Amino acid sequence: MSTVPQESIEVISQSLGINNLAPEVLPGLASDVEFHVREIMQEAIKCMRHSKRTTLTSEDVDSALGLRNVEPIHGFASGDPLRFKKAAGHNNLYYIRDKDVIDAPLPKAPLDTTLVAHWLAIEGVQPAIPENATLEVQSDNRKAEYREDGVSVDVKLPVKHVLSRELQLYFEKITELTVSRSSSILFKEALVSLATDSGLHPLVPYFAYFIADEVSRNLNNSYQLIGLMRLVWSLLQNPHIHIEPYLHQLMPSVMTCLVAKKLGNKFSDNHWELRNFTADLVALICKRYGHVYHNLQPRVTRTLVHTFLDPTKALPQHFGAIQGLAALGPSVVRLLVLPNLEPYLRLLEPEMLLEKQKNGMSRLEAWHVYGALIRAVGLCMYNRLKKLPTLLPPLRAMSRSNPKVITKIPSKRKATVDNMMQQPPLKKLATNGPMGSLTANSVPVDMSGTSGGYAANIQVADSSFPSISKTFSNENVRGISARRDGVASQGYKSSAVLQQAWKEEFDTGNLLPLLYEYFGESMLNFVPTPELSLLL
Amino acid sequence: MDEEEIEKAVMTYLKKKGFKQTELAFQEEQQRQHPKTALHSTNSHVDPEIACQILSFSSELESNPAQYHEGYGKLRSWAYSSLDLYKHELLRVLYPVFVHCFMDLIAKGHIQEARTLFNSFREDHEMMHARDLQKLEGVLSPSHLEEMEFAHSLRQSKFNIKICQYSYDLLLQYLHKTQSVVMLGLINEHINFQVSPGQPTSISDDAEVVTLMGSGQDAVNLINQKEIHWGLLEDSLEERLEKAGALVPDSAKVDGEAREGEVEENKKRPYEGGKQGASLKKSKKDKVATATGKASRVETSTVSVAPRVKPELTLPSIPAEVEHSILEDLRNRVQLSSAALPSISFYTFINTHNGLNCASISQDGSLVAGGFSDSSLKVWDMAKLGQQTGYATSQIVEDSYPSDSLLGANSGRKSYTLFQGHSGPVYSATFSPFGDYILSSSSDSTIRLWSTNLNTNLVCYKGHNYPVWDVQFSPVGHYFASSSHDRTARIWSMDRMQPLRIMAGHLSDVDCLQWHANCNYIATGSSDKTVRLWDVQSGECVRIFIGHRSMILSLAMSPDGRYMASGDEDGTVMMWELASGRCISPLVGHTSCVWTLAFSCEGSLLASGSADCTVKLWDVTASTKLLKTEDNKTGSINRLRSLKTLPTKSTPVYSLQFSRRNLLFAAGVLSKNT
Repeated sequence: MSTVPQESIEVISQSLGINNLAPEVLPGLASDVEFHVREIMQEAIKCMRHSKRTTLTSEDVDSALGLRNVEPIHGFASGDPLRFKKAAGHNNLYYIRDKDVIDAPLPKAPLDTTLVAHWLAIEGVQPAIPENATLEVQSDNRKAEYREDGVSVDVKLPVKHVLSRELQLYFEKITELTVSRSSSILFKEALVSLATDSGLHPLVPYFAYFIADEVSRNLNNSYQLIGLMRLVWSLLQNPHIHIEPYLHQLMPSVMTCLVAKKLGNKFSDNHWELRNFTADLVALICKRYGHVYHNLQPRVTRTLVHTFLDPTKALPQHFGAIQGLAALGPSVVRLLVLPNLEPYLRLLEPEMLLEKQKNGMSRLEAWHVYGALIRAVGLCMYNRLKKLPTLLPPLRAMSRSNPKVITKIPSKRKATVDNMMQQPPLKKLATNGPMGSLTANSVPVDMSGTSGGYAANIQVADSSFPSISKTFSNENVRGISARRDGVASQGYKSSAVLQQAWKEEFDTGNLLPLLYEYFGESMLNFVPTPELSLLL
Repeated sequence: MDEEEIEKAVMTYLKKKGFKQTELAFQEEQQRQHPKTALHSTNSHVDPEIACQILSFSSELESNPAQYHEGYGKLRSWAYSSLDLYKHELLRVLYPVFVHCFMDLIAKGHIQEARTLFNSFREDHEMMHARDLQKLEGVLSPSHLEEMEFAHSLRQSKFNIKICQYSYDLLLQYLHKTQSVVMLGLINEHINFQVSPGQPTSISDDAEVVTLMGSGQDAVNLINQKEIHWGLLEDSLEERLEKAGALVPDSAKVDGEAREGEVEENKKRPYEGGKQGASLKKSKKDKVATATGKASRVETSTVSVAPRVKPELTLPSIPAEVEHSILEDLRNRVQLSSAALPSISFYTFINTHNGLNCASISQDGSLVAGGFSDSSLKVWDMAKLGQQTGYATSQIVEDSYPSDSLLGANSGRKSYTLFQGHSGPVYSATFSPFGDYILSSSSDSTIRLWSTNLNTNLVCYKGHNYPVWDVQFSPVGHYFASSSHDRTARIWSMDRMQPLRIMAGHLSDVDCLQWHANCNYIATGSSDKTVRLWDVQSGECVRIFIGHRSMILSLAMSPDGRYMASGDEDGTVMMWELASGRCISPLVGHTSCVWTLAFSCEGSLLASGSADCTVKLWDVTASTKLLKTEDNKTGSINRLRSLKTLPTKSTPVYSLQFSRRNLLFAAGVLSKNT
């Protein structure tokens, strides 16, 4: 009948020491208890209202008891609302766990009450300060709608951008170093600072402008350009800078440094190095921001391929394009370079031959391009072989029993060539790791082992592709050109094979012999060790 | 048993019970019966049957509790299925019937049946009468009915229901047809129908239709017919400023009348007049006319300027320098309107640990007092916290200065002055008009007077028997009023230990009070859902305002003395015209308790602060103008226009105060867990 169960009354009476309570009394008591509890709660609500609160606390019940001249219940004072827990198995039963009170660490001394003032409104308009509640989302939506309708176009006022004095000084120092002393140690320190320091974000637009400006002005100075590209590299490395919004400003400059016709003094400057470096830079940008700008990589690739396939472009441009494509990964090479390999080689070949190209400079350039091609195609093939090791066909017919090849196994590892040599092939397989490591980084390749004459001087330094090319350009021309004739003879068939090379199901094994035909034994260096041993 | 005897017995029974309609029905029945008996050769064997039927009927009335449930259920479904035009009027009948059915059942001891009745039909009335139902729910035995005042007052008084003639006829017809004597009896006993001819009233104004009066409607009407001099005080500073500014030629006449009150004031006048340069004057040009016709009762005056009345209390004199500063403020006052909204400076209390019960801001906003549940009263001097009084800084200055704590116990570095003396939670605090005194009321049933200059307790006023919920200084200072759980409001003066007047009449706690601008009246809001206006001089109740549906939490008087606003627990704010005692319009918008209300100094705006963490600004002039033009006809339908809602950052607004320059100050507690 009443919400207070009679059992409770019984239990309470027993706890008070009344054991012989007549059962007839219980319902009457229960209803009376409920009535008075309700009454007290109503008084408590009144007290709560006068304390200007909307949550009832134990204090309110105490004051309500006081209003009724009942002795208050002590021991429940708490400034904060009590945390109730649901009793397991009961729907509407809650309790406060005593354990929390006893086990809890001593609370901190409460902070003293303080008063803070702020403007809730100034002439009826709420200022947007942290003390005020954020404006309703509703109004924002409405604004957006208007914009869509084109009814009201909200024009953003130009924001005056104030650079701190310190940042101005920093910027001046960096630009000065880049322009004047890009080879000094101080500049390296500056690059480290650029790559790590936080708080440089305000300078990013200025740097972007600076780089674009300087690149267009210093196309003749490759040292300057390298310095600038390093600047870009450092900016990209800095985790505190969000460079995405400025990429569109930077990319033209970077692409210029990769595929420009003339970079620096043709004879004295090492523009190959600049192109190599920039190729890696492009790859880095594509890798990191490709997911933000969906069209970034396609656009870069398109530019590079156009350059690569345009016979009117100068050879250094071709070199840059090939390097760029190679840096973008083996799949790019497979899709875009391999199908065009055969005609391109045909085009390139005369340039490399002493008899046909009298200009030593042009010949050198051609050999550079050839080296870049070998590297790109080789890396691609290496990647394929790693991926599909079982597809290797028996290649014994092709391979010559050249003992040097077997003994001087090339390694893809940087600067650990010697150590690796000592290790058994199995272990090397394990250390070689996933092929992914090969794609993004520029892989220094030990090109030793093709022809014994220059094996000694081929210790490849950090991303020093030119050195490889040089070795080729020295005197090996004749041997290769001899093979080139062979290539020409079986031209038609092989080009068909190459054109299908992009197909996934295509037997990779067929690729290798073909490439072998093109490039000779240098290709074997790109075959992963275990496969190579299998092959031979 | 003689047939006529039985009939007589039945008739007397019906008469005794007041079942007039049944009586009529019975007579009709008799008429029909007689021809029948004439036909059937006067056989007496039918008569005992009727007698038995009737007797059993009456005995059933006593014993059968199921009848209530059934009868009410039928009445309910009938009312709900009636025509839409009359439906809302007929539905009004349900609540009183329901409540009395329940109480009848309880009184007769059918507790179980009462419970089932209550639980099956309570949803119908949940929206309108949730709190009453909560109270009634606990009633479980006849003795509880005796104990509980609410039930008591329900039993003793009648509900007033306005109903149109046709609806009334419909109801009667139904009751006759169904022979539901129980319902008929209840309706007859507890409902007072005010039958009006013509069309049924519109649905919208049903707020005040079902009201319960302790003393009955007639008494209320009688009270509300009393005369109120709601005009402003003559010779107030504002008036003098206006006069000086406008240089009204015949101000001498007014001066002559004013002179009898205070002679010394005249000396200052030329001085002030000289000071008046580019004072802003109100655009009311017909000032002279009303000034001459002062103290006359202008109930439905269309004149925009309030009439002047003489003070009934002897007013304290104002120090010259204070007066000067007030005049300066008045001159610099910003004119607010619906187009020119005020600036609001918000004072946020932090780290109160749910302990702050009230906040009060002095006239100029420089002092803020907080009453805490740990019996302490803390006063912050905002001038010391920020840089300037009127231009509060947005950040608290961290360097706290040594506290001049009252008891010296808390001599640590505090940013406030601590006043200790109460022995219970402090429920209210109020600043004197010039900020030199604070009054605080507490649950220890005392009121204490503190000096802000000396930082000490001056007087402890004892008189109330229960917690004092509210205390308010009069607009001129010196006098103050308090309201308490003991259902009285009392008027005090600072120099007397005993109250000057005791206002008794509310049926429940007096929760809040406010002085009228002319100091001749105070308004009190109570848990009995009424607001009353009392004459300070006579101590009589002069107005009763009925319409709120829950306890009244805040009151505000318009500066021109014409209107009053009251806010309740549900978030409704009501605007009343004092002269007529009628509600101009309910202001709906807040979703939770309206803790505080404030009129702007020229009375064009009303600000309300609520537990729903908003400050709302309402346009007063628009609605009152509308009322005047349309001649009060559709007054209750028009809603006051809400101008602006300013949300705070989870900070319920405890207090609002317009400074004399019309800067709005607000105070609230940052509550994280809401």
